[in-house]
Parts: sequence; structure tokens; C-alpha cells
Amino acid sequence: MVLRAWSGGWRRVAGAYGMGLAMYALTFALALPLAAMLRDQITAQLGNSLMAVPVADGVSYDWWTEFTARATGLGATFTPAIIGFASTLDALSRVVDARYPPKALMWLLVAYLGLWTVASGGIVDRYARQRPTRAHGFFSASGRLFFRLGRLAAAAGLVYWVLFRYVHPWLFLDLYRDLTRGLGVERTTLLWRVFFYLLFGAALLVVNIVFDYARIRLVVEDRRSAVGALLASLRFVWRHPLAVAGLYALNAFGFLLLLAVWALVAPGIHGAGVAMWAAFAAGQLYLLARLAIKLHFLASQTAFFQAHLAHATYTAAPVPAWPESPAAEAIAR
Amino acid sequence: MLVAVASLHVGGQEPAPARGGVQAFDEPLPEALSPRNASYDITVQLDPVRKELKGRETIRWRNISAATTNELQFHLYWNAWRNADSTWLREDRLASPPARRVREAERRPEETGASDVTLLRVTPAAGDPVNLTASMRYIAPDDGNAADRTVMAVTLPAPVDPGGSVRIDIEWTGTIPFAATRTGWIADYYFLGQWFPKIGVLEDSGWNTHQFHRVTEFYADFGVYDVRMTVPAGFKVGASGREMQRVDNADGTATHSYHADDVADFGWTTSPSFIEERRAFNHKTLPSVEMRLLLQPEHRGQETRHFAATATALEYFGQWFGPYPYGNITIVDPAYQSRSSGMEYPMLFTGRSNWLAPATVAEPETTIIHEVGHQWFYGVVATNEFEHGWMDEGMTTWASARVIDEARLLNMQAVRLFDALVPYALDIPLSREVSGDRMPTYRPDAEADAQQTPTFRYRPGSATPITYDKTALWMHTLERHLGWPTMQRVMAAYYDRWKFRHPRPEDFFQVVSEVSGQDLTWFFDEVYRGSSTFDYAVQDLRSEAADAGRFRTTVAVQRLGEATFPVDVVTTFADGSQVTEQWHGRERHVLYTYERPSRAARVEVDPGHVLLLDVNRTNNTRTTQPRAAGAAGKWSLTWMVWLQELMITAGFFG
Repeated sequence: MVLRAWSGGWRRVAGAYGMGLAMYALTFALALPLAAMLRDQITAQLGNSLMAVPVADGVSYDWWTEFTARATGLGATFTPAIIGFASTLDALSRVVDARYPPKALMWLLVAYLGLWTVASGGIVDRYARQRPTRAHGFFSASGRLFFRLGRLAAAAGLVYWVLFRYVHPWLFLDLYRDLTRGLGVERTTLLWRVFFYLLFGAALLVVNIVFDYARIRLVVEDRRSAVGALLASLRFVWRHPLAVAGLYALNAFGFLLLLAVWALVAPGIHGAGVAMWAAFAAGQLYLLARLAIKLHFLASQTAFFQAHLAHATYTAAPVPAWPESPAAEAIAR
Repeated sequence: MLVAVASLHVGGQEPAPARGGVQAFDEPLPEALSPRNASYDITVQLDPVRKELKGRETIRWRNISAATTNELQFHLYWNAWRNADSTWLREDRLASPPARRVREAERRPEETGASDVTLLRVTPAAGDPVNLTASMRYIAPDDGNAADRTVMAVTLPAPVDPGGSVRIDIEWTGTIPFAATRTGWIADYYFLGQWFPKIGVLEDSGWNTHQFHRVTEFYADFGVYDVRMTVPAGFKVGASGREMQRVDNADGTATHSYHADDVADFGWTTSPSFIEERRAFNHKTLPSVEMRLLLQPEHRGQETRHFAATATALEYFGQWFGPYPYGNITIVDPAYQSRSSGMEYPMLFTGRSNWLAPATVAEPETTIIHEVGHQWFYGVVATNEFEHGWMDEGMTTWASARVIDEARLLNMQAVRLFDALVPYALDIPLSREVSGDRMPTYRPDAEADAQQTPTFRYRPGSATPITYDKTALWMHTLERHLGWPTMQRVMAAYYDRWKFRHPRPEDFFQVVSEVSGQDLTWFFDEVYRGSSTFDYAVQDLRSEAADAGRFRTTVAVQRLGEATFPVDVVTTFADGSQVTEQWHGRERHVLYTYERPSRAARVEVDPGHVLLLDVNRTNNTRTTQPRAAGAAGKWSLTWMVWLQELMITAGFFG
């Protein structure tokens, strides 16, 4: 059943590739104006300077330090960690080390999460139905489920806040630091760190799984109550712990596989012109794959949940119907 | 026999030889490399359970100053961790980031440090021993901090005149601090620096005995050291000097005897975990040196990197400044979290490495080369670090960056993630001019203080940029201004003249002027006595059609910083021709106008990058064919991918 859900998930993602592309376009559209702002900052700082030559043709760390020394806002986030696979590691390290995103970007990330919350209703609805719902169906579902999913997102935010505000410091500032403060061997310290990452990561994943299934049950069963969906999700996860974990592990393996490939092919330092666009395209392909995997988590979990229902495509809510214009209704009559 | 040799040198009352008919403060003895006026015979035992040292020492001290003294002053630096109000910890709280302050505040009672003198007896050259234990008192000559116990004084029963000497017997108990900065213990690793009661320096103007400060710690007279360290059997010991004897005791301990001539300090380390290896440094024109490495087991496989870096440093520094005067050197690879990495002691230093140490990143090499450099500037040329920290740390930063550059070591940028435990090496080369000379850390504190301010008085947070970074930048600027051959002769002359002595800034400046044949007062006024920044810029570049197919080019350059330095202004024209103007750099603006057969292509201020202190190099050039748009486009697209990935990662929570 797990493998069937996993492969079924991919079928659902592929069948709704337009939705995936739309989500990718969302990240692109949100990031593009900010990239343009950074471009303006760099252009202004370089001006007509000859310094632009090594910066354009490769990399000049000398210039880089000069730029960041004066940069504020977005410019302050322009560090070597943006290059290639370092970018991926930096993002992961931020999560497990509870390093909050740069202040200049906080509002963007909050907005992005908000848009995800809005879109997730339409996404799950589309995956559950396994047939095109078109844009009107997607937005109709998203709008109909918005407040319910918003309440669920608020509950998720509260739980994540507790994890990062209290559990993470307890694990890493109290337990980990206490355990390792007398260690004179870095390797052992790193192993302890990994152990605590696993602990914290497990907590994050459990919460993530529970809220994923809550979201799925809320949509599929057309539940009005976010709390009810959460409790139903807990019951579902409790009854199928191995299968739920197995599916999640299978999905996580796909994610790790993608990271491994990206680690090998991620472009490093390159010049302007064709190389620049090639590197950008490679980056976008990787991001597209990341989004596909993220969507596959939802799709496969939806498939797995529905496999436990009477009908594999069951959704409680009717297919949203686009209302005809009054004139068309008059003709029909 | 070795103790007897030491006594022979220090017991006499012969005054130091005169130079130019004047009493020389620290002139070497005829038969020795140094004045040897503060020699130590120390017996110490480590108690690894109580984390204590129990020691007794005999100091044979001779007054080589022109002043008569009626007291003695001693450093008791482990008292910096005795209470939270020591000057060291006060300064640390001012300078450290919050996380570190929290960590220091969490120091448990059993992790504090202390130095408790239980007996102090003074024996005049002609007289009986006098027990002065009861008259010991703590003084705070730098800040009057009554809670600071890092300097102790006793009044002598009779004054010691110039040339006079005394014998001082001290017994003390040292409580070893837990992983304090630059000394202490962690797990089974001990690094013992600033560990014994050490006499201050009596100068012609009186005692120069500073309290222990966060960023300065060294100033001592030269002497002969005989030190016997008793540790549990199986513990390996590394120390200043050379091991003369090792005796296994019946009580399960072993006593390691070390001897060192002409050194101004003594540091040691011990741990049962060290991997010990030895290799020889052999060179056709330099004396051989036995290199001994005490390596952490988790760094097995990094032996060659440690030895190669040490050998490289011995070679370059030896050729540039003068041969390493001791026959052996011990490289200590410190334990993780010991906070004792990057420390220098005569004939011994600590490196810095990580379990994951990418080959393209010059660590441990950078630290090793820096610390070997201290054997010259600190170990042999023994400046007063409390007051002129730049003379050892700054010079060494400059010199070690030069070695890394000359030796063409792989030196790439890395980011360290996951609590700095995981490095990710990037294909970004680090230059000597900016990264080696530390411009990025100098820039924000460039105007924090004038370098001539005594180092211990710097605002704690800005001490490192002014001491290390600014010096490296101006020494490199001086090197490019004078040319390396002259600079090399300057440094060799300075080293030769002041080895085993205590030079002051003016002594260095004098050598520079003498050897270069130039009066460089203006330069030292800017970089040493001033705190202004350098920033030259191209203000405008225009080429307009003039008569007869010629073009009128106007170049405007300006000085944005308050400091001045002569710079070249080079204008290059489209036909490849160039005009070089030598601007003394004092005006705020200068305008150059040319009528040439072609338009200007670009203009550069200081194209040779002589003035390494210029805090903004981007504005030093201007071209008529700018490429900023291409550069900005490329990097903003790279950044955009990073941002999108950050968003998608955040999407995990959505």
C-alpha cells in the first residue's frame, strides 16, 4: 500500500503538473523583484568601476567583503553561502540550528507560507479528485477551505513556535551544551550534535506528518473543524504508524537523493553571459524538482489516506461548479 | 648540571654591559644571547583530579635597569578567573558576543582558576633569606580595580640597586581554570600558559607589570629556565625548551625536566591522548630544527600538513629575518573547545585544526605559520605586548600572510555550517592583500583608536582590528612603498638589532628610516599616531571631442578619507597609451586634463595597490566601458536561487 501510494503520488503530481508549475511560478514571482533590488544595489556600488570585471568574470572576495561592509537590508544577506550547494546546506542548517531567516526576508517568508496555506486547499483537493479541476476549481477549493486551513495553519504555527522557542533551546542550549561542554574531541561533539538534530528533526517530522494528514482529512472529508481534523489525523497516524512513517521515509529518500545529485552538479563560480544563464537554469530545474518532491509528499499522503476509504478518489465536497451567468441560466430554462 | 649552569649566569652582580657609554636596559650578556636577568628553576606537580598545580620556584633576578627598586612585582594571571570582577572578565564581557558571555557566566565553581602564593622568600645577594609572605599585596596599576588579583607586589627589606640581584623563592598552588582563553584544561588535555608566578619587568622608569587583560598578556625579561614537571605516568608532555630527562616515579607519576636558554616565558602542555611525531627541518643555509608534533588522535592524517606548514614558516622567516635561534620547536594540536588554539610560547606553540579540514582551506596552515612567526616577534624580539601589541601580533600577521602568499598555499574560502562543525569549501581564492591582511575586519573599526594608544587601553571589541589588522595592512603598504628588498633588509636589521631585547615603536621606526634612507615620519604619523582612514576615489572621467580630431579628457580624483598617502593616477586611452601622474594625495580634489588623439578608456588611482589601507577599492577606478550590469545580473541571479530555496525550505512549515 505504501509503494502504491508513493507511485500514485507521482502520478497525481504528474497529472497536475500545471499546478506544480504555478507554485514554482509563485516562488519565482516573489523572488524576482527582490533579486532586481539586489541587482540595483550591486550596480550602484560598482558604478563604472573596473572592479566589475573580476566580479562579472568570476568572483572577487575582496570586492565581496567591500560590498557587504556597506550593505544593509537585502544586501546584507549576500554572502558566500548563496553559492551552489552551500545555499542548500545553509537553508538546512538554518532549520536545524534554529537560525532565523534574515530580518530583511522575514516578511517574504511569512507571506510565502500564507500563500501556501491558501493554495494547499486547492492542491490537496486536486490530488484527491485525480482529475482536472481547472483554475476555477482550484481557486474555489482554496477559497472555500481558506479559513479552515488558516485555523489549522495557526495551530501548526503554534506547535512549531513551541518547538523552536522552547524545545530547540532546551535540546541544544541545555542538554547538548551540557553534554558536550567538557568534550575535547570534535568528532564526538559532532556525533552528539547529529543525535540532537535527529531528535529535533524527528519532532519536526512528526508534527509535519500530523498536520499534513490533518490538512488532507480536512479537505478530503470536507471537515469544518480544524481541531477535529487534527484529532482525526492523530488517530489515523496512531493506527498506521509504520505505513505512515514508511511512506514519509520513502519520500524523504527522494529528497535526499535530489540533494545528493544537486551536490554533484550545483554550479559554483561562473562567468556572466551564457554560463550565467546556464547556472540559473540549472538552479531553477533543481528548485522545480524540490517543489515537485514537496508536492509529492502531499500527493502520496493523500493517496495513502484515500486508499483507506471506500473509494480511492472519494472527496466529500462536490466538484465546485462555476456559476453560469444569469443570461445562460435564462436560456437553459 | 643544568641548574648549575643557570645559577652561574644569574648569580653574579655584574651589571649589563654598556652601549655607547650609557647603561643599556636590556643588552645581552657577553656569553649569552640575552641579558638572562630573570631565570627560573621550577618544580611543579599536576594533580589531574583536583585540577591543580603545586609548585615551587626559585627566581634569580638581576636589576638591569637604571632605577633602584624597593619592591618586587609579579604576575599571577590565573587569578583572572578567580572572580567575576577581574579586569580580564570585565573586559571580556564588554567585548564578547552574548553567547560567549553566557558561557563565561556559567563557569562552575570547580572550573574557576586561581594562583595562590603560599610562601615568598627573598634572599638578597649578600644577606639572609627574608620571608615576605605576610607582606604580599595585590595592586592594580592599570585600572585600580580592587577585585583584580593578577598583579602582586612585595616590599623588599632593602632596595636593589642597578646591577644588584636577589633570589626569590616562591611556593604556590595553581587552580587550573577550565578551558579559559589561552590556558586551562578540558577532558584530559592541559595547556599551561601564564601558570607560574612571574616577575614583572623593571624599566628605567620603574616597574612595568600590567594586569592581565583580555587582549594582551606578554612582557617579561629573558632568562634561563629549568623546569621539572611531574604528571601521571603515560601523560605526554610538551614544553618550551628541550627535554633533558624523564624519570618514572614510584607513585605512578613521571617527571619531565626541560631546559631553555634565553627565553622570556615558559609554556607547557600535557595529555595522555597526544600522538607524538618528530621530523627534522633541514635547509642548506639555515640551522636544522627538530620539529615535534603533539597531535590530537582525531586529527590523525594531518601530520604532514602540520609539519609542512611549520617547515615553510621556519624557512621563510629564517631567510627573511634571521635564523631560528633554537634547535627545536614543539607543535601542539590543541583539544577541541580548549580555547587554547593559536597560542605562542618560546619554542612551543598551539595550532588550530578541525576534524573536517578541507585540503583547499589553509587551516591549520594559517595559524601554524602565524604562531611560528611569533618565535621571531614575541619570542626573540620581545616587545611589550601590553602597550605595543601591534609589534608582535601585527607584524606576525603581516609576515605570515606573506608566507602563505609566497609559498602559494591553497587558500580558499569556506563557510562553516551546522554550529560551525561542518565546513563547505568554496572555489573562492582568498588574497593576501585583503583576506591575509584582514581588511574585512579592520574596515568597521578603522577609526576606533590610534595605534599608539597602549594596547591594553583599546576598547576591548576593537583591539584586534587595530592591533592585528591595521598593522598587517600598513606593514604591507610599507613593503610595497619601499619595495620588498628594502623591506626585507629593514626587518632583518630590526630583528638583528633587537633580538633578545625589548624594542619600542620608536626603535622600529628608526630602523626603517635608517635602512630605507627615508624619513618616514609622515607615514607613521598617519598609520601609528593617527586613527584616520584612507580612501581615494575617481570622481569623474570625461572625454570630449576637441580640435583637429583630438579629444579633451578630464580626470577628477578625490580624497575621501582624512589620511593621506602618495598615489599614482594612471589614465589609459583607447589607443593603449597611458599617462601616469604622481599625486601626493594631500588635496581633496585634483583635476587632470589631457588633449590626446584618442578618448580615455579608464583611469585608476593607485593601480599597483600600494595603499592597502584604502577602505574602498571599488571607487579607485573608472572605465568608459562599465560591466557593472553584467556583474550585478550574474550575482543577483545566483542570490535569487538562494532566496527561492530558502522559501521552499520554509515551505516545509506550510
